[in-house]
Amino acid sequence: MTDLLNQPSNSQFKFSREKILAFTLILPSLILVFITYLYPAIFTFVISFAEYDIIRLKIKKFIQFKNFEFLISNYFFTSSVLRTIYFGFLICVCTTILSFLIALLLNEKFIGKAFLRVMIVLPWAVPSVVSGVLWGQMFHADTGFLNALLYQLGVISGYKIWLADPLVALHVIAIAEIWKAIPFMTLFFLSGLQSLPSEVFEAASVDGANVFQRFSNILFPLMLPIAIPLFLIQFVLAMKSFDTIFVLTRGGPGGGTTTLNYFIYQEAFETFNLGRASAAAYVLLIITLAVVLIPTISRFLMKFFWGNK
Amino acid sequence: MKKNLILKNFFIYFSALIVFLIMFFPLYGLILTSIQPENIIRSRNLSFFPTEIIFTHFAEVLKPNHISNIYEGIKNSLIVSFLTSFLCIILAFPAAYSLARLNLPAKNIILGTLISVYFLPTILFVIPLFVILVSYQLDDTILSLVVPYTAFTLPFVIWILKSFIDKLPVEVEEAAKIDGCSTLQLLIHIIFPLLRPGLIAAFIFAFILSWVEFLTPLIFTNNLKISTVALGLFRSTIDIKIGQQAAAAIITLIPVTILMIFFQQYITKVVLSGSDK
Repeated sequence: MTDLLNQPSNSQFKFSREKILAFTLILPSLILVFITYLYPAIFTFVISFAEYDIIRLKIKKFIQFKNFEFLISNYFFTSSVLRTIYFGFLICVCTTILSFLIALLLNEKFIGKAFLRVMIVLPWAVPSVVSGVLWGQMFHADTGFLNALLYQLGVISGYKIWLADPLVALHVIAIAEIWKAIPFMTLFFLSGLQSLPSEVFEAASVDGANVFQRFSNILFPLMLPIAIPLFLIQFVLAMKSFDTIFVLTRGGPGGGTTTLNYFIYQEAFETFNLGRASAAAYVLLIITLAVVLIPTISRFLMKFFWGNK
Repeated sequence: MKKNLILKNFFIYFSALIVFLIMFFPLYGLILTSIQPENIIRSRNLSFFPTEIIFTHFAEVLKPNHISNIYEGIKNSLIVSFLTSFLCIILAFPAAYSLARLNLPAKNIILGTLISVYFLPTILFVIPLFVILVSYQLDDTILSLVVPYTAFTLPFVIWILKSFIDKLPVEVEEAAKIDGCSTLQLLIHIIFPLLRPGLIAAFIFAFILSWVEFLTPLIFTNNLKISTVALGLFRSTIDIKIGQQAAAAIITLIPVTILMIFFQQYITKVVLSGSDK
């Protein structure tokens, strides 16, 4: 191998030899990715049309679209799909707005900025199990800070069991996810803000544009190309969220915090219905892809019909 | 004009304080809970400062026979995270070089596939992997964690390293090639040392991502001896001792927090390298 590479380059073979070398270098990575992604994805696809025997570990029989039909007629499934979409958008919208505001703040000069930046980045490294525990303790019925604080301020007359209410529980989980998602997006927004030319703002303020005009006419359009991909990536990540739900509510109460991802987990590893779980996993994949592809497709259509970029 | 500036400064410091409180208070609450006796935690007097500091929760949690097995968990997580990061670097370094510099056919398609794979729902791959592991009786082993972790982290690490290699000056490589340096020699003796910041950043990312992984060990391991620290922490939530639970959470946090604070510049570099294209 080394011998082959050490040979003085022969112009006739150089081109294809470089290709072979390039391919050899990336091959191990590709093999690993194919074994752990592509093969399982095909496997999941196949058994989504089958009944899978979990004890003998083989396909019992193919049942065509029965798994999908069951899911669509299942109330728990359809409600968890809608809940997942709401959950995803809630997290994206809140994270994007808050991160943008924090990035604007970090773009200013003030004492203690470096310290604040470390503090803001910190939640990213917090394992989501820890953030589940942490927010669980915050909202704990007996010992949580929130109850104590609201009680002493006189907002509530008695201690509330926050996580017992499905709607509140879902939002508690969303808060935990947003808190963890803010750091990364803030850093991206910040680097976007820092790459903007400052002359534009100076010119605008010389021309007498006020803060709001500068924001809506300059900053917002300039940041949009950064914000849209971040928003979409955040949506995809929100679709994957599992740990916080598992630690805080285990999908309860009454299935009120079961997102699609959690539904799949329950089908696969609690009731061991791998066929149905696989079918649901493909529904999740389709939703994820749809949301990510919508901007691409709409841009393509706009280009097609109006001809401008 | 001057009054305006004071007002602006006041506004900045005020919002900085609010942001600090929102981002840090949950962690502070956790620290507070972990160092106070159980009866104070459970009392209904709200206090934001510790009245009595004890470390027994930490001592309890770290005992080898504790329900959550944090002690074993730390050991396992360290092993698994180190192995994963190491494997990731070994696999990703040549791959990233190939993508960044060599004449690889269908380069953009390969890179695009690798990156989009990272964003697909993990659960889609976990079901068949579980079946494979069980049928070869590989579940409950370190291997059953390291291989999936490496695969899940690899696309991201390749992307990080590629964007760092893109920034290296090509001239150095060209000069080395003229001097008769083969590609492998070039990779090991020239690119590797030049790429140190990128390698550190990639290593830290891989380490943190493996340290925080929860779904994979939850499904692939049952044996308490193989339990990772995140899983151990989860087990401590079954117990109702809030102080110990908080202590376990703090212990889980410490290694990644240290990495974050010390290598913050590298992490920021990764973000910057991704955005200014």
